[in-house]
Amino acid sequence: MTPSPSNKIQLSVSVYSYTADFLVTMSLEDCLADIADMGATGVEILADTHIPGYPNPSETWIDAWHQLLQKYRLTATSVSTWIDSRMFKNRSLTVDEGLAILVRDIKLAHRLGFTIIRPKLGVITLDLLPDPTWRDIIRRALPYAQEYNVRMAPEIHAPTPLRSKIVEDYVALAKETGTKYFGLLVDTGVFQNQVRAGDHSDSKHFFGSLDPAAAAEVGRVMTEPLCVDPEQLVDVMPWLFHVHAKFWDMTDELTDPHIPWDKVVAALVKGGYSGWISSEYEGRRDLFRAADILRRQHVMLRTLFAQHGVSLA
Amino acid sequence: MLEANVIQTKGFKNVVQDGRTIGFQVRVRCSYYRGIWASLLERVAVTVDGERFLPEHTRLGLHKRTATLAELADDAETRWLYEEPMVVMVDKPGGLTPGMHHVQVLVTWRWSYIPVEFQPTTNIAEQQLVLVQ
Repeated sequence: MTPSPSNKIQLSVSVYSYTADFLVTMSLEDCLADIADMGATGVEILADTHIPGYPNPSETWIDAWHQLLQKYRLTATSVSTWIDSRMFKNRSLTVDEGLAILVRDIKLAHRLGFTIIRPKLGVITLDLLPDPTWRDIIRRALPYAQEYNVRMAPEIHAPTPLRSKIVEDYVALAKETGTKYFGLLVDTGVFQNQVRAGDHSDSKHFFGSLDPAAAAEVGRVMTEPLCVDPEQLVDVMPWLFHVHAKFWDMTDELTDPHIPWDKVVAALVKGGYSGWISSEYEGRRDLFRAADILRRQHVMLRTLFAQHGVSLA
Repeated sequence: MLEANVIQTKGFKNVVQDGRTIGFQVRVRCSYYRGIWASLLERVAVTVDGERFLPEHTRLGLHKRTATLAELADDAETRWLYEEPMVVMVDKPGGLTPGMHHVQVLVTWRWSYIPVEFQPTTNIAEQQLVLVQ
């Protein structure tokens, strides 16, 4: 298959992948050093986790962050932020409140050198629809996104399929406004086609009911394969700003037991994707596991892209 | 650096005020992969050696503010920073005896991007800790 000449794809790693080790066995610098050591050229962070004193890091820390990017020759790719619509128990955040949070985070993203922000708007019911304030928040944030040159990309993440009302609505807003500052981030977890184990932490988590039987059912629902066909990536390509290479495991044969990566890579190449592939390891949170398993994924990704005629920048 | 487990060994000690031992404290790191705004918290329950302590007797030390859960309900400015464990202070005249204790900490808080049918989120962590003094 002949790749589109517009394919310019680079590898990034989200520091989220190092959740078990971060601040336990590895500092932020250690994570960046590891990302650079495996040959990646981009770094992604969670604003709420990796920025000390969030949302107000010190000037000293911001300077040090830029020095780290230079030292390890890494580009700041995307930063994940959240709009906590459930901030208060008895009411949802207003549009003004949500907008203030997003604008604050856009400015912070810009100061740290990020050109993509992923505000977590999220679904609020099993109908997979977000808090309805999203549309007004995004519309009013567009001038800020443009001024600070930070593209906004909410994440299409399991259990939301690519063919869904919320994706239609996001694309409709992008088309209607004609903006270049609002698009999509796709998490490859949507392509999961094999059952996976859910437990990845040392302590117990319950989502809703504390009843063990109910908790087991919730765990099953939250980890079940969504089986989206990777070919559907081609349909959303004009609005695809960023890809989270989500994974939970890699075999010794360097295959992913849960995600059909050959088809994902084929669709990205065929669709003409240009941008970052940013690894997000989310499997068992054992110490020292991230460094090894990220490298396995990167060997697989480099091999697959090469097979499809694309050498990663 | 932080210890890997949710309940931290460091910081588990009795609290002395004006020469009297008024209670004990234990440090708890975010079990969430991100920091938590105080108003998102719905419950913090400490149980030591099977003794459950009441919310009225439990104060939460979050970076710049120490308050009970009820006092934090409307506080969207105070933050449980990811990099800084919460200091949970429990009133207990005389404190705990030196030695081994089984400590359980239950934290319930709201995630905004999970269907309401699967909310709120609760984490239950348990640890054998040594209290020196």
